[in-house]
Amino acid sequence: MAEILTIQGLSKRYGAVQALDQLSINVPQGSIYGLLGPNGSGKTTTLGIVLDVINPSGGSFQWFGQPASKSTKRRIGALLETPNFYPYLTGEENLRISADVKGVDHSRIPATLETVGLGKRRNDKFKGYSLGMKQRLAIGAALLGDPEVLVLDEPTNGLDPEGIAEVRQLILDIAAQGKTILLASHLLDEVEKVCTHMAVLRSGKLKAQGPVSSILATNDLIFINGGAPVEQLLQIARLLPFVTQAHQVNQQVQITLQEGIQSSELNRAFFAQGVALGQLVVRKRSLESQFLEIIKAEHA
Amino acid sequence: MTSLLRIELRKLLPYSTFWVLLVLQLSLLFIFFYARGHVQVNGQAAGAELYQFPRLWQHIAYVSSFLNLIPGILIIILVSDEYAFRTFRQQVIDGFSRATLVQGKYSVILLLAIALALYVLLLGIGFGLYYGKGAENTGMFTDAQYILYYLLQLVGYMSLAMLIAFLLRKTGLAIMVFMAYTLVVERLINWQTPDAIDKYFPMKVLGNLTPNPHRELEQLMLGTSEVLSPLQATIPAVLYIGLFCFLSYYLLRARDL
Repeated sequence: MAEILTIQGLSKRYGAVQALDQLSINVPQGSIYGLLGPNGSGKTTTLGIVLDVINPSGGSFQWFGQPASKSTKRRIGALLETPNFYPYLTGEENLRISADVKGVDHSRIPATLETVGLGKRRNDKFKGYSLGMKQRLAIGAALLGDPEVLVLDEPTNGLDPEGIAEVRQLILDIAAQGKTILLASHLLDEVEKVCTHMAVLRSGKLKAQGPVSSILATNDLIFINGGAPVEQLLQIARLLPFVTQAHQVNQQVQITLQEGIQSSELNRAFFAQGVALGQLVVRKRSLESQFLEIIKAEHA
Repeated sequence: MTSLLRIELRKLLPYSTFWVLLVLQLSLLFIFFYARGHVQVNGQAAGAELYQFPRLWQHIAYVSSFLNLIPGILIIILVSDEYAFRTFRQQVIDGFSRATLVQGKYSVILLLAIALALYVLLLGIGFGLYYGKGAENTGMFTDAQYILYYLLQLVGYMSLAMLIAFLLRKTGLAIMVFMAYTLVVERLINWQTPDAIDKYFPMKVLGNLTPNPHRELEQLMLGTSEVLSPLQATIPAVLYIGLFCFLSYYLLRARDL
Protein backbone atom coordinates (compact mmCIF):
# COMPACT_ATOMS: atom_id res chain seq x y z
CA MET A 1 0.00 0.00 0.00
CA ALA A 2 1.39 3.41 -0.97
CA GLU A 3 2.08 6.02 1.67
CA ILE A 4 -0.06 9.16 1.44
CA LEU A 5 1.94 11.06 4.03
CA THR A 6 5.36 10.31 5.46
CA ILE A 7 6.76 12.31 8.34
CA GLN A 8 10.44 12.01 9.32
CA GLY A 9 11.87 13.32 12.56
CA LEU A 10 9.50 16.29 12.79
CA SER A 11 10.22 18.67 15.68
CA LYS A 12 8.78 21.99 16.81
CA ARG A 13 9.96 24.18 19.65
CA TYR A 14 8.01 27.17 21.00
CA GLY A 15 10.53 29.00 23.17
CA ALA A 16 11.23 26.64 26.06
CA VAL A 17 8.46 24.21 25.13
CA GLN A 18 9.27 21.24 22.93
CA ALA A 19 5.83 20.83 21.36
CA LEU A 20 6.92 18.05 19.03
CA ASP A 21 9.96 15.84 19.40
CA GLN A 22 11.31 13.75 16.51
CA LEU A 23 7.97 12.48 15.27
CA SER A 24 8.05 9.94 12.45
CA ILE A 25 4.86 8.35 11.14
CA ASN A 26 3.51 6.99 7.87
CA VAL A 27 -0.09 7.30 6.77
CA PRO A 28 -1.00 4.48 4.36
CA GLN A 29 -3.36 5.07 1.46
CA GLY A 30 -6.98 4.30 2.21
CA SER A 31 -6.51 4.29 5.98
CA ILE A 32 -8.38 6.27 8.58
CA TYR A 33 -5.42 7.37 10.61
CA GLY A 34 -6.04 8.61 14.15
CA LEU A 35 -3.63 10.89 15.98
CA LEU A 36 -4.52 10.33 19.59
CA GLY A 37 -3.23 12.20 22.59
CA PRO A 38 -4.29 14.41 25.47
CA ASN A 39 -4.63 18.18 24.97
CA GLY A 40 -1.24 19.76 24.36
CA SER A 41 0.37 16.55 23.15
CA GLY A 42 1.34 17.99 19.75
CA LYS A 43 -1.51 16.78 17.53
CA THR A 44 -2.49 20.19 16.18
CA THR A 45 1.17 21.19 15.84
CA THR A 46 1.77 18.09 13.73
CA LEU A 47 -1.22 18.81 11.50
CA GLY A 48 -0.31 22.53 11.31
CA ILE A 49 3.16 21.64 10.04
CA VAL A 50 2.02 19.15 7.40
CA LEU A 51 -0.63 21.67 6.28
CA ASP A 52 2.08 24.32 5.75
CA VAL A 53 0.89 26.88 8.31
CA ILE A 54 3.46 26.14 11.03
CA ASN A 55 7.18 26.16 10.29
CA PRO A 56 8.90 23.08 11.76
CA SER A 57 12.09 23.46 13.80
CA GLY A 58 13.41 20.24 12.27
CA GLY A 59 12.49 17.19 10.23
CA SER A 60 10.60 16.81 6.97
CA PHE A 61 7.41 15.44 5.45
CA GLN A 62 6.11 14.43 2.03
CA TRP A 63 2.59 14.25 0.66
CA PHE A 64 2.20 11.65 -2.10
CA GLY A 65 6.01 11.42 -2.10
CA GLN A 66 6.48 15.15 -2.86
CA PRO A 67 7.14 18.24 -0.76
CA ALA A 68 4.04 20.36 0.01
CA SER A 69 3.01 22.60 -2.89
CA LYS A 70 -0.05 24.12 -4.48
CA SER A 71 -0.67 20.88 -6.36
CA THR A 72 -0.45 18.65 -3.25
CA LYS A 73 -2.75 21.05 -1.37
CA ARG A 74 -5.38 20.67 -4.10
CA ARG A 75 -5.57 16.97 -3.22
CA ILE A 76 -6.11 17.61 0.50
CA GLY A 77 -9.14 18.98 2.31
CA ALA A 78 -8.46 20.12 5.84
CA LEU A 79 -9.88 21.71 8.92
CA LEU A 80 -7.45 22.74 11.62
CA GLU A 81 -8.51 23.54 15.20
CA THR A 82 -11.39 25.97 14.57
CA PRO A 83 -13.76 26.62 11.65
CA ASN A 84 -12.15 29.63 9.95
CA PHE A 85 -14.64 31.82 8.09
CA TYR A 86 -15.71 35.44 7.64
CA PRO A 87 -18.39 36.01 10.30
CA TYR A 88 -20.24 38.69 8.33
CA LEU A 89 -20.69 36.47 5.25
CA THR A 90 -23.29 33.74 4.83
CA GLY A 91 -22.38 30.07 4.75
CA GLU A 92 -22.74 30.01 0.99
CA GLU A 93 -20.68 33.18 0.45
CA ASN A 94 -17.95 31.70 2.63
CA LEU A 95 -17.91 28.50 0.59
CA ARG A 96 -17.64 30.55 -2.61
CA ILE A 97 -14.43 32.07 -1.28
CA SER A 98 -13.15 28.61 -0.27
CA ALA A 99 -13.99 27.29 -3.74
CA ASP A 100 -12.19 30.22 -5.44
CA VAL A 101 -9.11 29.70 -3.28
CA LYS A 102 -9.06 26.01 -4.12
CA GLY A 103 -9.82 26.64 -7.77
CA VAL A 104 -13.01 24.55 -7.61
CA ASP A 105 -16.16 25.22 -9.59
CA HIS A 106 -19.04 26.78 -7.65
CA SER A 107 -21.51 24.20 -8.94
CA ARG A 108 -20.53 21.83 -6.14
CA ILE A 109 -21.48 24.25 -3.38
CA PRO A 110 -25.24 23.52 -3.03
CA ALA A 111 -24.69 19.75 -2.91
CA THR A 112 -21.90 20.18 -0.36
CA LEU A 113 -24.15 22.32 1.85
CA GLU A 114 -26.79 19.58 1.68
CA THR A 115 -24.22 16.91 2.57
CA VAL A 116 -23.33 18.69 5.80
CA GLY A 117 -26.95 19.52 6.59
CA LEU A 118 -26.77 23.28 6.06
CA GLY A 119 -28.95 23.53 2.96
CA LYS A 120 -31.68 25.46 4.79
CA ARG A 121 -29.25 27.79 6.56
CA ARG A 122 -27.04 28.62 3.60
CA ASN A 123 -28.18 32.25 3.44
CA ASP A 124 -27.65 32.90 7.16
CA LYS A 125 -24.55 34.66 8.35
CA PHE A 126 -21.74 32.50 9.71
CA LYS A 127 -21.67 34.42 13.00
CA GLY A 128 -25.24 33.30 13.69
CA TYR A 129 -24.38 29.61 13.36
CA SER A 130 -24.16 27.30 16.35
CA LEU A 131 -20.81 25.70 17.08
CA GLY A 132 -21.97 22.46 15.50
CA MET A 133 -23.09 24.25 12.33
CA LYS A 134 -19.77 26.08 12.10
CA GLN A 135 -17.95 22.77 12.43
CA ARG A 136 -20.16 21.22 9.74
CA LEU A 137 -19.52 24.16 7.40
CA ALA A 138 -15.79 23.63 7.90
CA ILE A 139 -16.15 19.95 7.02
CA GLY A 140 -18.15 21.03 3.97
CA ALA A 141 -15.36 23.41 2.92
CA ALA A 142 -12.83 20.61 3.35
CA LEU A 143 -14.94 18.36 1.09
CA LEU A 144 -15.29 21.00 -1.64
CA GLY A 145 -12.53 19.98 -4.02
CA ASP A 146 -13.43 16.29 -3.74
CA PRO A 147 -9.98 15.74 -2.18
CA GLU A 148 -8.20 12.39 -1.96
CA VAL A 149 -7.21 13.08 1.63
CA LEU A 150 -9.14 14.67 4.46
CA VAL A 151 -7.31 16.10 7.46
CA LEU A 152 -9.64 16.70 10.38
CA ASP A 153 -8.58 18.18 13.71
CA GLU A 154 -11.04 17.30 16.49
CA PRO A 155 -13.95 17.12 14.01
CA THR A 156 -16.58 16.32 16.64
CA ASN A 157 -15.53 19.04 19.08
CA GLY A 158 -18.52 20.99 20.31
CA LEU A 159 -21.11 18.81 18.60
CA ASP A 160 -24.09 17.30 20.38
CA PRO A 161 -24.38 13.50 20.50
CA GLU A 162 -26.49 13.42 17.35
CA GLY A 163 -24.00 15.65 15.54
CA ILE A 164 -21.11 13.47 16.70
CA ALA A 165 -22.82 10.38 15.33
CA GLU A 166 -23.51 12.17 12.02
CA VAL A 167 -19.93 13.35 11.62
CA ARG A 168 -18.57 9.91 12.40
CA GLN A 169 -20.90 8.35 9.86
CA LEU A 170 -19.85 11.02 7.34
CA ILE A 171 -16.18 10.12 7.95
CA LEU A 172 -16.88 6.42 7.46
CA ASP A 173 -18.88 7.14 4.27
CA ILE A 174 -16.06 9.25 2.88
CA ALA A 175 -13.50 6.59 3.77
CA ALA A 176 -15.67 4.00 2.03
CA GLN A 177 -15.07 5.92 -1.22
CA GLY A 178 -11.40 5.00 -0.89
CA LYS A 179 -10.24 8.31 0.54
CA THR A 180 -7.59 8.58 3.20
CA ILE A 181 -8.45 10.37 6.42
CA LEU A 182 -6.06 11.78 8.99
CA LEU A 183 -7.90 12.55 12.18
CA ALA A 184 -6.69 14.12 15.42
CA SER A 185 -8.64 13.45 18.55
CA HIS A 186 -8.27 13.34 22.30
CA LEU A 187 -11.15 10.88 22.48
CA LEU A 188 -9.96 7.30 22.55
CA ASP A 189 -13.46 6.07 21.93
CA GLU A 190 -13.66 8.09 18.71
CA VAL A 191 -10.38 6.72 17.37
CA GLU A 192 -11.37 3.20 18.35
CA LYS A 193 -14.76 3.51 16.62
CA VAL A 194 -13.61 5.18 13.44
CA CYS A 195 -9.92 4.57 12.74
CA THR A 196 -8.01 1.74 11.12
CA HIS A 197 -4.57 3.00 12.17
CA MET A 198 -3.42 5.17 15.01
CA ALA A 199 -0.48 6.96 16.56
CA VAL A 200 -0.44 7.92 20.21
CA LEU A 201 1.28 11.17 21.19
CA ARG A 202 2.20 12.49 24.58
CA SER A 203 4.17 15.69 25.26
CA GLY A 204 5.21 15.76 21.62
CA LYS A 205 6.63 12.26 21.65
CA LEU A 206 5.34 9.26 19.73
CA LYS A 207 4.25 6.58 22.19
CA ALA A 208 2.82 3.96 19.87
CA GLN A 209 1.76 3.57 16.28
CA GLY A 210 0.26 0.92 14.04
CA PRO A 211 -3.09 -0.67 13.18
CA VAL A 212 -5.68 0.03 15.87
CA SER A 213 -6.24 -3.68 16.48
CA SER A 214 -2.58 -4.25 17.36
CA ILE A 215 -2.32 -1.27 19.69
CA LEU A 216 -5.60 -1.66 21.48
CA ALA A 217 -5.21 -5.37 22.21
CA THR A 218 -8.33 -6.85 23.67
CA ASN A 219 -6.36 -9.10 26.01
CA ASP A 220 -7.59 -9.22 29.56
CA LEU A 221 -5.49 -8.82 32.66
CA ILE A 222 -5.23 -11.68 35.13
CA PHE A 223 -4.26 -11.26 38.76
CA ILE A 224 -3.09 -14.27 40.79
CA ASN A 225 -1.87 -14.85 44.33
CA GLY A 226 -1.65 -17.52 47.04
CA GLY A 227 -0.32 -21.08 47.02
CA ALA A 228 3.31 -19.93 46.90
CA PRO A 229 5.36 -16.76 47.55
CA VAL A 230 4.68 -13.97 45.06
CA GLU A 231 8.30 -14.09 43.77
CA GLN A 232 7.93 -17.75 42.91
CA LEU A 233 4.59 -17.17 41.14
CA LEU A 234 6.20 -14.44 39.11
CA GLN A 235 9.11 -16.67 38.17
CA ILE A 236 6.84 -19.48 37.01
CA ALA A 237 4.57 -17.11 35.10
CA ARG A 238 7.51 -15.62 33.20
CA LEU A 239 8.60 -19.05 32.03
CA LEU A 240 5.21 -20.01 30.59
CA PRO A 241 5.22 -19.73 26.76
CA PHE A 242 1.72 -18.23 26.44
CA VAL A 243 2.29 -15.42 28.96
CA THR A 244 3.23 -12.17 27.20
CA GLN A 245 3.71 -10.01 30.29
CA ALA A 246 3.98 -10.59 34.03
CA HIS A 247 4.66 -8.04 36.78
CA GLN A 248 4.28 -7.91 40.48
CA VAL A 249 1.57 -5.45 41.49
CA ASN A 250 1.11 -5.07 45.25
CA GLN A 251 0.92 -8.60 46.60
CA GLN A 252 -0.33 -10.02 43.32
CA VAL A 253 1.11 -10.99 39.98
CA GLN A 254 -0.45 -9.25 36.99
CA ILE A 255 -0.38 -11.35 33.85
CA THR A 256 -1.30 -10.78 30.22
CA LEU A 257 -1.92 -13.85 28.10
CA GLN A 258 -1.51 -14.38 24.39
CA GLU A 259 -4.66 -13.96 22.39
CA GLY A 260 -6.97 -16.96 22.42
CA ILE A 261 -5.57 -18.43 25.63
CA GLN A 262 -8.06 -18.94 28.43
CA SER A 263 -7.34 -18.24 32.09
CA SER A 264 -8.08 -21.88 32.90
CA GLU A 265 -4.96 -22.88 30.97
CA LEU A 266 -2.93 -20.65 33.24
CA ASN A 267 -4.42 -22.34 36.29
CA ARG A 268 -3.65 -25.76 34.79
CA ALA A 269 -0.05 -24.79 34.07
CA PHE A 270 0.50 -23.63 37.65
CA PHE A 271 -1.04 -26.83 39.00
CA ALA A 272 1.33 -28.84 36.80
CA GLN A 273 4.20 -26.93 38.47
CA GLY A 274 2.88 -28.06 41.85
CA VAL A 275 1.26 -24.72 42.81
CA ALA A 276 -2.43 -24.52 43.65
CA LEU A 277 -3.35 -20.85 43.21
CA GLY A 278 -5.20 -19.22 46.09
CA GLN A 279 -6.93 -16.68 43.87
CA LEU A 280 -7.27 -16.00 40.16
CA VAL A 281 -9.10 -12.88 39.02
CA VAL A 282 -9.77 -11.91 35.39
CA ARG A 283 -10.23 -8.20 34.83
CA LYS A 284 -11.50 -6.81 31.53
CA ARG A 285 -9.21 -4.05 30.34
CA SER A 286 -11.10 -0.85 29.66
CA LEU A 287 -10.06 1.23 26.69
CA GLU A 288 -9.34 4.18 28.93
CA SER A 289 -6.97 2.20 31.09
CA GLN A 290 -5.13 0.96 28.00
CA PHE A 291 -4.88 4.50 26.69
CA LEU A 292 -3.56 5.75 30.01
CA GLU A 293 -1.10 2.88 30.06
CA ILE A 294 0.23 3.79 26.61
CA ILE A 295 0.62 7.47 27.29
CA LYS A 296 2.19 6.85 30.71
CA ALA A 297 4.77 4.42 29.38
CA GLU A 298 8.14 6.12 29.32
CA HIS A 299 9.42 3.80 26.60
CA ALA A 300 7.47 2.82 23.43
CA MET B 1 -4.15 39.15 -10.12
CA THR B 2 -7.72 39.52 -11.42
CA SER B 3 -8.85 36.23 -9.87
CA LEU B 4 -7.22 37.34 -6.61
CA LEU B 5 -9.04 40.64 -6.82
CA ARG B 6 -12.31 38.78 -7.38
CA ILE B 7 -11.77 36.84 -4.16
CA GLU B 8 -10.91 40.05 -2.31
CA LEU B 9 -14.08 41.72 -3.64
CA ARG B 10 -16.17 38.79 -2.36
CA LYS B 11 -14.87 39.61 1.11
CA LEU B 12 -15.03 43.39 0.70
CA LEU B 13 -18.37 44.20 -0.94
CA PRO B 14 -20.61 42.67 1.76
CA TYR B 15 -18.47 44.17 4.56
CA SER B 16 -20.18 47.14 6.22
CA THR B 17 -16.97 48.46 7.81
CA PHE B 18 -15.52 48.88 4.33
CA TRP B 19 -18.49 50.94 3.15
CA VAL B 20 -18.58 53.10 6.28
CA LEU B 21 -14.91 54.03 5.92
CA LEU B 22 -15.20 54.52 2.15
CA VAL B 23 -18.21 56.83 2.43
CA LEU B 24 -16.47 58.71 5.25
CA GLN B 25 -13.37 59.18 3.10
CA LEU B 26 -15.34 60.30 0.03
CA SER B 27 -17.43 62.78 2.03
CA LEU B 28 -14.41 64.19 3.87
CA LEU B 29 -12.54 64.68 0.59
CA PHE B 30 -15.49 66.69 -0.69
CA ILE B 31 -15.94 68.67 2.53
CA PHE B 32 -12.21 69.45 2.86
CA PHE B 33 -11.91 70.77 -0.65
CA TYR B 34 -15.16 72.66 -0.39
CA ALA B 35 -14.29 74.19 2.99
CA ARG B 36 -10.81 75.19 1.94
CA GLY B 37 -12.19 77.15 -0.98
CA HIS B 38 -14.78 78.94 1.15
CA VAL B 39 -12.45 80.25 3.83
CA GLN B 40 -12.56 84.02 3.89
CA VAL B 41 -9.11 85.52 3.40
CA ASN B 42 -9.09 89.33 3.63
CA GLY B 43 -12.82 89.40 3.04
CA GLN B 44 -12.53 87.31 -0.11
CA ALA B 45 -13.19 83.61 -0.59
CA ALA B 46 -9.97 81.68 -1.21
CA GLY B 47 -11.80 79.59 -3.78
CA ALA B 48 -11.27 81.98 -6.63
CA GLU B 49 -7.59 81.11 -6.82
CA LEU B 50 -7.95 77.58 -5.42
CA TYR B 51 -10.50 76.37 -7.95
CA GLN B 52 -8.72 77.81 -10.94
CA PHE B 53 -7.21 75.42 -13.50
CA PRO B 54 -4.38 74.51 -13.67
CA ARG B 55 -3.42 75.52 -10.08
CA LEU B 56 -6.40 73.47 -8.88
CA TRP B 57 -4.63 70.14 -9.40
CA GLN B 58 -1.79 70.83 -7.02
CA HIS B 59 -4.24 72.25 -4.48
CA ILE B 60 -6.60 69.31 -4.56
CA ALA B 61 -3.77 66.77 -4.35
CA TYR B 62 -2.34 68.63 -1.36
CA VAL B 63 -5.69 68.94 0.43
CA SER B 64 -6.58 65.30 -0.25
CA SER B 65 -3.24 64.12 1.18
CA PHE B 66 -4.42 65.17 4.65
CA LEU B 67 -6.95 62.34 4.55
CA ASN B 68 -4.58 59.44 3.78
CA LEU B 69 -4.91 57.94 7.26
CA ILE B 70 -8.43 56.64 6.60
CA PRO B 71 -7.52 54.34 3.67
CA GLY B 72 -4.50 53.22 5.73
CA ILE B 73 -6.73 52.34 8.66
CA LEU B 74 -9.08 50.47 6.33
CA ILE B 75 -6.18 48.35 5.06
CA ILE B 76 -5.07 47.65 8.63
CA ILE B 77 -8.58 46.45 9.49
CA LEU B 78 -8.73 44.23 6.39
CA VAL B 79 -5.37 42.58 7.15
CA SER B 80 -5.82 42.16 10.91
CA ASP B 81 -9.35 40.78 10.34
CA GLU B 82 -7.82 37.91 8.40
CA TYR B 83 -5.66 37.12 11.41
CA ALA B 84 -8.62 37.43 13.80
CA PHE B 85 -10.85 35.17 11.65
CA ARG B 86 -7.85 32.87 10.97
CA THR B 87 -8.75 33.03 7.31
CA PHE B 88 -5.14 33.63 6.19
CA ARG B 89 -4.38 30.30 7.81
CA GLN B 90 -7.28 28.57 6.08
CA GLN B 91 -6.33 30.03 2.69
CA VAL B 92 -2.77 28.72 3.01
CA ILE B 93 -4.17 25.31 3.96
CA ASP B 94 -6.47 25.46 0.93
CA GLY B 95 -3.67 26.18 -1.54
CA PHE B 96 -2.46 29.79 -1.38
CA SER B 97 1.18 30.62 -0.86
CA ARG B 98 2.17 33.40 1.50
CA ALA B 99 3.14 35.53 -1.50
CA THR B 100 -0.44 35.15 -2.79
CA LEU B 101 -1.81 36.52 0.49
CA VAL B 102 0.30 39.68 0.14
CA GLN B 103 -0.61 40.01 -3.55
CA GLY B 104 -4.30 39.77 -2.64
CA LYS B 105 -4.07 42.64 -0.17
CA TYR B 106 -1.86 44.60 -2.54
CA SER B 107 -4.52 44.27 -5.24
CA VAL B 108 -7.02 45.86 -2.82
CA ILE B 109 -4.55 48.69 -2.17
CA LEU B 110 -4.21 49.35 -5.91
CA LEU B 111 -7.95 49.21 -6.47
CA LEU B 112 -8.68 51.61 -3.60
CA ALA B 113 -5.92 54.01 -4.66
CA ILE B 114 -7.19 54.07 -8.24
CA ALA B 115 -10.78 54.57 -7.10
CA LEU B 116 -9.87 57.43 -4.75
CA ALA B 117 -7.60 59.11 -7.32
CA LEU B 118 -10.39 58.91 -9.92
CA TYR B 119 -12.84 60.39 -7.43
CA VAL B 120 -10.45 63.24 -6.68
CA LEU B 121 -9.97 63.79 -10.41
CA LEU B 122 -13.75 64.04 -10.87
CA LEU B 123 -14.00 66.30 -7.84
CA GLY B 124 -11.34 68.55 -9.36
CA ILE B 125 -13.13 68.72 -12.70
CA GLY B 126 -16.44 69.46 -10.96
CA PHE B 127 -15.13 72.20 -8.67
CA GLY B 128 -13.03 73.70 -11.44
CA LEU B 129 -15.95 73.95 -13.86
CA TYR B 130 -18.48 75.13 -11.28
CA TYR B 131 -16.44 77.64 -9.26
CA GLY B 132 -13.48 78.45 -11.48
CA LYS B 133 -13.38 80.91 -14.30
CA GLY B 134 -13.09 78.06 -16.78
CA ALA B 135 -9.91 76.68 -18.23
CA GLU B 136 -7.26 79.17 -19.18
CA ASN B 137 -5.68 78.87 -22.55
CA THR B 138 -3.34 76.19 -21.12
CA GLY B 139 -6.22 73.68 -20.94
CA MET B 140 -7.98 71.91 -18.14
CA PHE B 141 -5.64 68.98 -17.62
CA THR B 142 -2.36 70.86 -17.50
CA ASP B 143 -0.64 69.80 -14.25
CA ALA B 144 -3.19 67.01 -13.74
CA GLN B 145 -0.14 64.77 -13.10
CA TYR B 146 -0.59 65.78 -9.43
CA ILE B 147 -3.44 63.29 -9.35
CA LEU B 148 -0.91 60.57 -10.31
CA TYR B 149 1.43 61.72 -7.53
CA TYR B 150 -1.54 61.54 -5.16
CA LEU B 151 -2.26 58.00 -6.39
CA LEU B 152 1.34 56.97 -5.69
CA GLN B 153 1.14 58.58 -2.26
CA LEU B 154 -2.03 56.62 -1.44
CA VAL B 155 -0.35 53.36 -2.46
CA GLY B 156 2.60 54.30 -0.25
CA TYR B 157 0.48 55.05 2.83
CA MET B 158 -1.59 51.90 2.41
CA SER B 159 1.51 49.73 1.83
CA LEU B 160 2.99 51.02 5.09
CA ALA B 161 -0.34 50.34 6.83
CA MET B 162 -0.33 46.81 5.41
CA LEU B 163 3.19 46.18 6.69
CA ILE B 164 2.29 47.42 10.19
CA ALA B 165 -0.82 45.21 10.21
CA PHE B 166 1.20 42.15 9.15
CA LEU B 167 3.74 42.99 11.83
CA LEU B 168 1.35 43.54 14.75
CA ARG B 169 -1.70 41.47 13.71
CA LYS B 170 -3.96 43.31 16.19
CA THR B 171 -6.29 45.99 14.78
CA GLY B 172 -6.17 48.54 17.59
CA LEU B 173 -2.46 48.31 18.20
CA ALA B 174 -1.65 48.49 14.50
CA ILE B 175 -3.84 51.60 14.00
CA MET B 176 -2.16 53.31 16.94
CA VAL B 177 1.34 52.51 15.73
CA PHE B 178 0.45 53.60 12.17
CA MET B 179 -0.90 56.94 13.38
CA ALA B 180 1.95 57.45 15.83
CA TYR B 181 4.56 56.83 13.15
CA THR B 182 2.97 58.89 10.40
CA LEU B 183 2.00 61.81 12.63
CA VAL B 184 4.62 61.95 15.38
CA VAL B 185 7.55 59.54 15.37
CA GLU B 186 9.07 60.36 12.01
CA ARG B 187 8.81 64.09 12.69
CA LEU B 188 10.70 63.62 15.95
CA ILE B 189 13.44 61.72 14.11
CA ASN B 190 13.52 64.36 11.36
CA TRP B 191 14.01 67.04 13.96
CA GLN B 192 17.36 65.52 14.95
CA THR B 193 18.44 64.53 11.44
CA PRO B 194 20.05 66.75 8.80
CA ASP B 195 17.77 67.72 5.88
CA ALA B 196 20.05 65.98 3.37
CA ILE B 197 19.18 62.64 4.98
CA ASP B 198 15.67 63.09 6.32
CA LYS B 199 14.30 64.15 2.96
CA TYR B 200 14.60 60.46 2.05
CA PHE B 201 12.53 59.27 5.05
CA PRO B 202 9.32 57.51 4.02
CA MET B 203 6.74 60.02 5.26
CA LYS B 204 8.75 62.94 3.88
CA VAL B 205 9.14 61.25 0.51
CA LEU B 206 5.42 60.46 0.36
CA GLY B 207 4.49 63.93 1.61
CA ASN B 208 6.66 65.62 -1.02
CA LEU B 209 4.68 63.94 -3.79
CA THR B 210 1.91 66.46 -3.09
CA PRO B 211 3.71 69.64 -1.98
CA ASN B 212 2.00 72.60 -0.39
CA PRO B 213 1.13 75.07 -3.21
CA HIS B 214 2.04 77.85 -0.81
CA ARG B 215 5.43 76.41 -0.02
CA GLU B 216 7.16 79.78 -0.31
CA LEU B 217 4.88 81.15 2.38
CA GLU B 218 5.43 78.06 4.55
CA GLN B 219 9.19 78.34 4.25
CA LEU B 220 9.05 82.01 5.05
CA MET B 221 7.45 81.19 8.38
CA LEU B 222 9.16 77.91 9.27
CA GLY B 223 12.55 78.47 7.71
CA THR B 224 13.80 76.92 4.49
CA SER B 225 14.33 73.19 4.38
CA GLU B 226 15.72 70.93 1.72
CA VAL B 227 13.00 68.85 0.04
CA LEU B 228 12.53 66.63 -2.98
CA SER B 229 10.34 67.76 -5.85
CA PRO B 230 7.37 65.44 -6.63
CA LEU B 231 9.24 64.04 -9.60
CA GLN B 232 12.38 63.40 -7.53
CA ALA B 233 10.29 61.77 -4.81
CA THR B 234 8.75 59.29 -7.26
CA ILE B 235 11.64 56.82 -7.35
CA PRO B 236 12.24 56.64 -3.57
CA ALA B 237 8.45 56.32 -3.10
CA VAL B 238 8.28 53.36 -5.48
CA LEU B 239 11.28 51.78 -3.72
CA TYR B 240 9.58 52.20 -0.33
CA ILE B 241 6.39 50.59 -1.63
CA GLY B 242 8.42 47.63 -2.91
CA LEU B 243 10.22 47.38 0.43
CA PHE B 244 6.97 47.46 2.46
CA CYS B 245 5.50 44.69 0.30
CA PHE B 246 8.62 42.57 0.53
CA LEU B 247 8.82 42.97 4.32
CA SER B 248 5.14 42.01 4.62
CA TYR B 249 5.90 38.82 2.71
CA TYR B 250 9.04 38.18 4.73
CA LEU B 251 7.10 38.48 8.02
CA LEU B 252 4.46 36.04 6.80
CA ARG B 253 7.14 33.61 5.64
CA ALA B 254 9.10 33.72 8.88
CA ARG B 255 6.22 33.27 11.31
CA ASP B 256 3.61 30.62 11.97
CA LEU B 257 0.09 31.42 10.84
